[in-house]
Amino acid sequence: MAEKKMIYLQPTPVRIWHWLNALGIVTLCVTGAQIRFPEYVPLFGNYKNAILLHNTAGFVVAISFSIWFFYYAFVARSMGKIYVPTKDDLQSGILRQAKFYFLTYFLGWENPHHPSPEDKFNPLQKSAYLAIMFVLVPLVSLSGILLTNVDPLRGLIIMVGGLKILMGLHFLLACSLCAFLFTHIYLATLGHTPFAHFKPMWTGWEEELEEHHSPAAH
Amino acid sequence: MKNASKPRFMWLCILLVLLFPLGALAMDSEECQGCHGDIDSVGEDLYINEAAYGHTAHSGMGCMACHEEVSDEHPDDGASISASSCSDCHEEVETEYMASAHAENATCGDCHNPHTALGLADVSGHDMNQQCSNCHENTDVVESHADWLPQADLHVAKLPCISCHTGSEDYVIILHIIQKESEAAFGDFEISKHQDLQALAGDKKVQSLVDLNSDNFISLAELRTFNRNPDYKSMRLQATMTPKEASHSVKTLDNRWDCSFCHTSGTENMQTSFLALPNDEGTFSRIEVEEGAVLHALTGTPDFYMMGTTRSASLNIIGLLIIIGGTLMPIGHGTLRFLTRKNRKH
Repeated sequence: MAEKKMIYLQPTPVRIWHWLNALGIVTLCVTGAQIRFPEYVPLFGNYKNAILLHNTAGFVVAISFSIWFFYYAFVARSMGKIYVPTKDDLQSGILRQAKFYFLTYFLGWENPHHPSPEDKFNPLQKSAYLAIMFVLVPLVSLSGILLTNVDPLRGLIIMVGGLKILMGLHFLLACSLCAFLFTHIYLATLGHTPFAHFKPMWTGWEEELEEHHSPAAH
Repeated sequence: MKNASKPRFMWLCILLVLLFPLGALAMDSEECQGCHGDIDSVGEDLYINEAAYGHTAHSGMGCMACHEEVSDEHPDDGASISASSCSDCHEEVETEYMASAHAENATCGDCHNPHTALGLADVSGHDMNQQCSNCHENTDVVESHADWLPQADLHVAKLPCISCHTGSEDYVIILHIIQKESEAAFGDFEISKHQDLQALAGDKKVQSLVDLNSDNFISLAELRTFNRNPDYKSMRLQATMTPKEASHSVKTLDNRWDCSFCHTSGTENMQTSFLALPNDEGTFSRIEVEEGAVLHALTGTPDFYMMGTTRSASLNIIGLLIIIGGTLMPIGHGTLRFLTRKNRKH
């Protein structure tokens, strides 16, 4: 028998940050597609609109990233705990979680990870977010900042290898972020109901099912 | 005997008549330069730089072609010197220019000195803005363009004004060799001077630095070799767009307001490019470059990228594969999830 337990998993600032980021990144992907393929993706009217929207969304995401980083690193001081995989995560946690997603999930087994405000992410999530939030987003933001300031930052751009290399890097990183979106949204449907993981990101509260197989389980 | 010498005398007379004006013209120009080529003799206003004048199309016609009424007693006769009107030769240009808004504000001479004026192909893309900047302050230009043009500072810095303000429908890409002026990591890059390039080329021609086989045509392979040569680490190839033909209408063609006129892939003219190399007299010579030079992602010109235009097909494919990779999890896992849904009904 399962009992519902409500956990306050996502505080308001985190939810605002998440949805601001979501809107920003989707806008960046779509406007970015128009900027690169104007003859095929004329979604926002003229090219200028797409550029202005892309630059604005990029600015919002970069600022939002900075706030996120500052909040977790210096205010909540929980960045390491939430985002950096532990030794146990690396030795067995990642494998255990992968085994769940790719095998035992299909057999109907329970998710080995139970989120709590201090331990929100499973070992696989931690590793993925570490790569995305500490490598992908900073790099795509920095390359975007360079690309919107080509003239004043030319010396830096040449150090990177030139405008073309920088542009190629920005494009491929953006494609990786876009690829992540598909996986991210799909994985969010793997809760006990398809919307179980979406709700806490909107209301803050997650329904956690607790199995009552034996008293020892509590 | 008498009959035979008559036609010979006539031919001699004709030859003298034909040759005399040419001889007199050449002599006149030389005489003019005798004084006007010496700044100390005539002062700054009347000084004609012989080297600069020699590169103009006007020099081929000689001084007297425009200044007809100069007497042998000049300047002692005190007579003012006549000068032809530009429209005497450039009638079509004048008609085109007079119809433009600029005609109210500037005469031909305000922008062009007939003793130094060069053709479009003889100047670098950067030099093309010299005339404009005599009246239009850079900060004002950036400010007025920023009202509607994204990255106005970049557009103004990197493009000749006449790339947009022109009657020329077509444009070409002009590549320049630029080099770092100081050893500082962020040192400014300037267009390489002839002397610097000649020092690198040694006793060979400057063009041999890029045009390795000196066939007056730069292949993509030659361009790649130049870009990758560690000896030329301080130099890079930069590019700009210039109109194919000079025009004096100075208008903004309707299609130039549309960003995608330039920022769209596949424009034919984006394929056509030239390398402009500096000559020792300050002019430039163009060498044709193989088609598609600016489109190569990693081996072409590393500093020329126009969004939407010079996108790399290879990177597009890699990007698409990455995005498809992101959909594999939802599709593959989702399918298995659907097939095994009964296992999770408890």
